[in-house]
Amino acid sequence: MRILACIKQVWEPESLFSLQGAELRPRPPLRRKISSYDELALEEALRLKDRLPQVRVTALSVGPASVVDALRRALGMGADQAVHILAPEQPPRPATLAAWIAAWASEQKFDLILTGVMSEDAMQGAVGPMLAARLRVPSVTSVVSLNIEGGAMTAEREMEGGRRQRLAVQLPALITIQSGPNQPRYPTLSNLLRAKKTTPLTLEATGLAAPIEREKVLAIAPPEKLRTGLVLEGDAAQKAQRLLAILRERALL
Amino acid sequence: MSAAAKRLVVVAEHAQGRLAPVTWELLTCARQVAPTLELEIAAIVLGQGVEFLAKEIAQRSGVETWAVEVEGLAGFHGDAQRLALARLLPGLGAQAVLGAHSTSGLDWAPALAAELEAAYIPGVESVSLEANGPTFWRSAHFGKVRENLAPETWPLVLTVQPGAFEAAPPAEVSHGQVETVHPGAPPCRTKVLDVVEGAGADAGLGRAQVVVAAGRGVGEAENLELLRRVAGLFSSAALAGSRPVCDLGWLSYGQQVGLTGATVAPRLYLACGISGARQHTVGMQGSGFIVAVNSDPQAAIFNLADVCVVEDLASFIPSLLEQAEGV
Ligand SMILES: Cc1cc2nc3c(=O)[nH]c(=O)nc-3n(C[C@H](O)[C@H](O)[C@H](O)COP(=O)(O)OP(=O)(O)OC[C@H]3O[C@@H](n4cnc5c(N)ncnc54)[C@H](O)[C@@H]3O)c2cc1C
Ligand SMILES: Nc1ncnc2c1ncn2[C@@H]1O[C@H](COP(=O)(O)O)[C@@H](O)[C@H]1O
Repeated sequence: MRILACIKQVWEPESLFSLQGAELRPRPPLRRKISSYDELALEEALRLKDRLPQVRVTALSVGPASVVDALRRALGMGADQAVHILAPEQPPRPATLAAWIAAWASEQKFDLILTGVMSEDAMQGAVGPMLAARLRVPSVTSVVSLNIEGGAMTAEREMEGGRRQRLAVQLPALITIQSGPNQPRYPTLSNLLRAKKTTPLTLEATGLAAPIEREKVLAIAPPEKLRTGLVLEGDAAQKAQRLLAILRERALL
Repeated sequence: MSAAAKRLVVVAEHAQGRLAPVTWELLTCARQVAPTLELEIAAIVLGQGVEFLAKEIAQRSGVETWAVEVEGLAGFHGDAQRLALARLLPGLGAQAVLGAHSTSGLDWAPALAAELEAAYIPGVESVSLEANGPTFWRSAHFGKVRENLAPETWPLVLTVQPGAFEAAPPAEVSHGQVETVHPGAPPCRTKVLDVVEGAGADAGLGRAQVVVAAGRGVGEAENLELLRRVAGLFSSAALAGSRPVCDLGWLSYGQQVGLTGATVAPRLYLACGISGARQHTVGMQGSGFIVAVNSDPQAAIFNLADVCVVEDLASFIPSLLEQAEGV
């Protein structure tokens, strides 16, 4: 069985950003990581590999040269193969991303494709289902638990209000992974040493077919302030004192 | 209903025989967008035995509504819903399709957009009306910026962030027409086996006047003890958490606030180490007074806080407890 896990590299969410014209740039120190839902998708792939015979896991990432670090971490966690679709830093529209991934993956006969429920930074939840549509395989989203027995897959997906739906899914299929009790494993030293010597299979995005971009980003702007947001000044103790005073004034304490 | 009309189609969301509140929010967004595009608003409800829901929409909103009776579609089934919509929408002259950016919408909308070769804009929070048509705002980059998008081609599929638009239908409307169609069972490749009910929200959470909420920023399970002590400062308080904290098992799922957890509106909500993702804030944005403590001055939670404490919890919380308990 062949499994593909799509992982996106993102900036550390706690990085400070500055808005420069139409671009958001993180300020140093520049730290990147694998988007957390994608790390869980990879973890799910590796769990299937732990349980089932003859599973081969491929990790794929689209992005600039820096995504090689994310792919090395994926190999360190236990992925068998790494694929890098080399693309500019600024991510394209999700339909384009899906087309690029599909251009390579359609030749590969994956039984199962895993993505995150959404990327942590862009929060679109689009690339997975769009990739499934391109590959003409069914997609099930927000999955918190997966099981494959005798070639038959059941997926448990989350619904609003904490309800869960169990589905039988024909393979090949695409599943988007939502967070649950599983935590991603740490890379092992032996895998990391192996990863260091591995060069990912690299493809140029410019050589891959993609549709015209159907949406345009016109502008980016700071978030809207929905409330006054009084910022407390001073050291931790002064802020605590001020907060207690405010809560007492408002008869909340 | 005229077949030639160009329409903006709202896909209603419902569960367990009731319309989800987000359906009315979709209609509010639709009313902002449709006039400039010269589109007629229509609503569509898919499922089994959904005609009464279609009537409710038509009566309360005045829009023409289709009840699509899909055989075997007892509850939500993304595959069936997407296939039925893909078949029906072109015939309805759908130029724009609005769904919720919920676990259901996320399941059918992006794949539908890909199949219809439509433009796709997910998680819309507000609309700007420009001379050459509407543009759409959504959060990006962990909520640290908003981006403004416009479709370059039609049709357009978009999903609307729950909680971003008013749910109120217009005060006085004449009833919209209802039409029921039976398109037959679509060729699904997934099958719903069963649905397991969630644990339900913790009873104390809904009643509490003060909610002290822990996010991933608390760092370790042991630190929750300190927040429990903070809750103890108030006469009617409950401890709650963001999703990651519940996933880690530090708090129970019944204590999770947000889209897939509980919705609360206490007099005071104290968010500790919570980044302020939309999926969390939709569950607490109605709180009377919001205080956020976060070490990241750009954390999105500060945009809806009344009081912002930019501080490390490790130094702030002990200091708060010391001063409050010392009195
Ligand atoms: C379909 C769907 C449904 C979802 N439903 C929900 C839901 O119901 N509820 C929910 O909460 N989430 C939900 N989520 C997840 C949501 O998108 C966010 O990932 C989640 O809310 C983040 O939780 P958090 O803020 O605790 O963690 P993070 O985003 O990791 O934020 C941690 C914060 O803590 C701060 N911090 C770190 N260290 C410190 C310190 N020492 N002192 C002070 N601050 C510190 C950081 O600056 C950061 O802002 C859902 C997601 C999806 C896709
Ligand atoms: N640049 C990328 N490289 C690899 N996978 C990606 C990339 N961008 C998005 N994905 C996958 O698509 C999922 C959804 O992303 P999004 O549509 O941006 O929310 C992510 O969780 C990833 O699994």
